[in-house]
Amino acid sequence: MLKNLAGLWRHRALAYVLVARELKARYRGSVLGFFWSLLNPLLMLAVYAVVFAVIFQGRGAATSPYALFLFSGLLPWNWLSTSLTDAASSLTTHGALLRKILFPAEVLPLVAVLAQGLHFVFALPVLLLGLVLGSLGTFGPRVPLGWPLVQAVPLLVLQGVFVAGIGLLLAALTVHFRDVKDLLATALSLWFFATPVLYTLAEIKQERVRAVLLLNPAAPLFDAWRDAFFYGRWIEASRWGVLLALACASFLVGYAFFDRLRDSYPEAV
Amino acid sequence: MTSAVRARGLSKSYRKWGRTRAFGTLKSALLGRSLGAALVPSEVVAALSDVSFEVARGETFGVVGPNGSGKSTLLKLVAGLFKPTSGELAVDGKVSALIELGAGFHPEISGRENVVINGVMLGLTRKQIERKLPEIIAFSGLEDFIDEPVKTYSSGMYVRLGFAVAVHVDPDILVVDEVLAVGDEAFAHRCLDTIADFSRRGKTIFFVSHSLVLVEELCDRVLYLENGRIKALGDPRETLAKYRMDVAAGAGARLATEHRKDQEILLRTAAEGGETALRAGETSAQRDAAHFLEGAKGSDAPGAAAAVERADSHTPFKENPPLPDTSRKQESQQGVDQPLEQKIPPGPDEKARRWGNRAVEVTGCRLLDSSGAERYAFRSGESLTIEISVAPRISTADFVFGIGIFTPDDVCVHGSNTEIDGFLPERLDGPATARVTLPRLDLGSGTYLVDVAVHSRRETPYDYWREACRFQVDSPDRNAGLYRPERRWTFAGAVSVSAR
Repeated sequence: MLKNLAGLWRHRALAYVLVARELKARYRGSVLGFFWSLLNPLLMLAVYAVVFAVIFQGRGAATSPYALFLFSGLLPWNWLSTSLTDAASSLTTHGALLRKILFPAEVLPLVAVLAQGLHFVFALPVLLLGLVLGSLGTFGPRVPLGWPLVQAVPLLVLQGVFVAGIGLLLAALTVHFRDVKDLLATALSLWFFATPVLYTLAEIKQERVRAVLLLNPAAPLFDAWRDAFFYGRWIEASRWGVLLALACASFLVGYAFFDRLRDSYPEAV
Repeated sequence: MTSAVRARGLSKSYRKWGRTRAFGTLKSALLGRSLGAALVPSEVVAALSDVSFEVARGETFGVVGPNGSGKSTLLKLVAGLFKPTSGELAVDGKVSALIELGAGFHPEISGRENVVINGVMLGLTRKQIERKLPEIIAFSGLEDFIDEPVKTYSSGMYVRLGFAVAVHVDPDILVVDEVLAVGDEAFAHRCLDTIADFSRRGKTIFFVSHSLVLVEELCDRVLYLENGRIKALGDPRETLAKYRMDVAAGAGARLATEHRKDQEILLRTAAEGGETALRAGETSAQRDAAHFLEGAKGSDAPGAAAAVERADSHTPFKENPPLPDTSRKQESQQGVDQPLEQKIPPGPDEKARRWGNRAVEVTGCRLLDSSGAERYAFRSGESLTIEISVAPRISTADFVFGIGIFTPDDVCVHGSNTEIDGFLPERLDGPATARVTLPRLDLGSGTYLVDVAVHSRRETPYDYWREACRFQVDSPDRNAGLYRPERRWTFAGAVSVSAR
């Protein structure tokens, strides 16, 4: 396993062309092309701004302005959920490759995570625009805007590694149990509500509920995203340690599982 | 190290992951048992067992065998796609597999981008592939379409592009699996040229094909697999001869079974009355082919005419028990006046396949080889004997035995009878057989049909069986045509050739 893991770096050229292919293929034939990566989140932000400014008013001060609060959590969540969906089916949809070409299978789920990660990165300027407008008070209470934003870069890497581990695990499972794909949709919506995207853990008053929600390995991550984007707070070293441990654990477990079943893919997909 | 591929005791088993099992195991795996235990296969199918061979560097190595013999598995093992279950496999050098051309092309993006991606997948760096790009595009002949999305390509264009990439990866070992079966004639030639060129440059080629002619042409040595085991390994001529013989034997066994079933159908119509058969015969006998059997103008001997008249005037005796003892046996078994078979009206096919007044009845037809054994698959150049069994209802001195060999599309290959070959009938008073031997069956590959007949010298058919037998011929040459004679070439003048 360690040898394979070390060899992962050698496949970067392959990963690069495959990610580029995913992006090119996605926007081929559409008039606006790459602009959709910007336009989609922009439209989403506009919808939230209107909905929460006009229809759902009066949430707590901690999450105000809610449109920006929601947006700063929803973007990373979309990355997480879309990459897991893509990664889970990556081996089965590219079965022809695995059967016909000597091909490093782990590249496929990783490409799914990376390609969705790029969409997330393309959406960041929109979030930034929102935050700039928010700091001017456009959406209500002013949001702080400053250096804590740079924490997004390490968070990006940590979430990538964290999601890649789960993606590898799901991809390997889907090869043998096609049911995983259907289960995943439900599991993701459950996970969405268990993760502080629509709310912050600080809002939860019942201690027991909070303790349960804290067991969610994605909770520290999304708390961190909030702090970096919305609250403009620095994340303490201990929390970085937890995030790093979670990401590494996820990746190692996922990769070990994937590697164990490696030889079965060309025959089973 | 001079060997490019070395296999020792190589075995590969496939696991059977039951379809219905999957959901059950996920559930039970989650409920109790460990997930690891659920992923252990229950059933194992051996695709290759204990295969050992060595391929020298620069050698063109052929693999033949019937479907399911393990050829593709061996190929995927050599290509590194599958891991051997047991045994050793050492592959020295970069392998490029022409297993499925264009595998991994993305339909939405252009041919050019797909070439780059495919090249990287096959192990080139991006720089290398960018450098080779013009060459690859030129080789594929798709300059005008290279920037169109691949989904607009025809399947031929798709394969051409895939082939162009695969051969430009510059492998040490080229693995080729039936790629020549796709694409048009020109493309097939280009593939062959490329493979020959590889061979000239000292590359190792691992070649799997059902085209034995190609294998014999290209390969230095041939491995013959059957049921995952080595049946033969060595000189292409010998190995392929062995394979051909086995195929012929298999086909022969199948054809013999078919032949027996066929004879039963024809014999069932034997008990049928002469009148309907005769009427059917009048029209069917007009077909061109029949003239070979009946074409020899009989002499005007009055005895012959009398015999025919006698046969015709005796049509009422169809109500008498027919002569062949098969029918009589049926009668006694069933204990009724008429055999059951008589009441079954023959299908239109059977009627058209058999006609005549049955004054003399054909009771069977077999094909024999030179040793006298019954056989229905022959190799070109072997001897063939056609045996006709007959039983007359009355004694007669007017009879001609005839045979005809046809292709399935009704081209007459040969037709002859005892009249043409100069025999005068003297007497026929009981069950008899006639054999005609063709000492050399110089025919090309294919299926051939045999008609047999017995008729009067004035062409009145007693019993004509169309397609009484069929046999297969296997020839070692490609495009041999129907006739495959022995050839001798001589050359004169400013020309020089050498034997391969």
